[in-house]
Amino acid sequence: MRGMDEYHNGNEGSFSSEEADSVVKECIESVVGGDDYSQSQVNKWTASIVERCLTQLIKQGKPYKYIVTCAVMQKTGAGLHTANSCYWDTAVDGSCTVRWENRTMYCVVSVFAVAIA
Amino acid sequence: MTMEEYNSGDEVVFSADEASISVKECIEGVIGGTDYNQSKVNQWTASIVEHSLTHLVKQGRPFKYIVNCSIMQKSGAGLHTANSCYWDTATDGSCTVRWENRTMYCVVSVFAVAVAL
Repeated sequence: MRGMDEYHNGNEGSFSSEEADSVVKECIESVVGGDDYSQSQVNKWTASIVERCLTQLIKQGKPYKYIVTCAVMQKTGAGLHTANSCYWDTAVDGSCTVRWENRTMYCVVSVFAVAIA
Repeated sequence: MTMEEYNSGDEVVFSADEASISVKECIEGVIGGTDYNQSKVNQWTASIVEHSLTHLVKQGRPFKYIVNCSIMQKSGAGLHTANSCYWDTATDGSCTVRWENRTMYCVVSVFAVAVAL
């Protein structure tokens, strides 16, 4: 999307949190931007968000396996806490988490990228 | 537990059932018998992911792991989660454990990505 293709030498293909962040934000916006929480649609939304994010990431053609998770929660004042921990190669693997909200719901999407040897 | 005997050739498969059992024990060990508590929940999610990861790594299998934990207060709000993975379906795998008590829900997902040997 930006100038990352210019860096095509040797170790090109490291995971960029910033790029993943923008990809994820766009996917969330395109699926639920402007909608109010709807119990009958939320399953579709979470599935669409993960599928879109995954598709966009794969298109970048980097040598990675990806895991994308998405949680959508209705805003009612309840507490939601999430944590994650990874056992991998910190030199080449990476993750990014995007928190998004509108008036009626929260959406948290995490992307984990594991380098293929 | 007797997986060491299967050290012949290419036996590297993620066992979702074993991981599930391990994760359930970790959850019970951290929050079994407690009520949702806003001041402790951050500690709980961190402990659950750390304990789960430690158990998995101890199994000594050639995998990288990502463990994700969400705890939500029971208040009637809707919470929906989805995940999607782009990896090698022959060797990689995941498992998700849903646990609840009177005051909270806990959802833990483990993703295991095979390391090329």
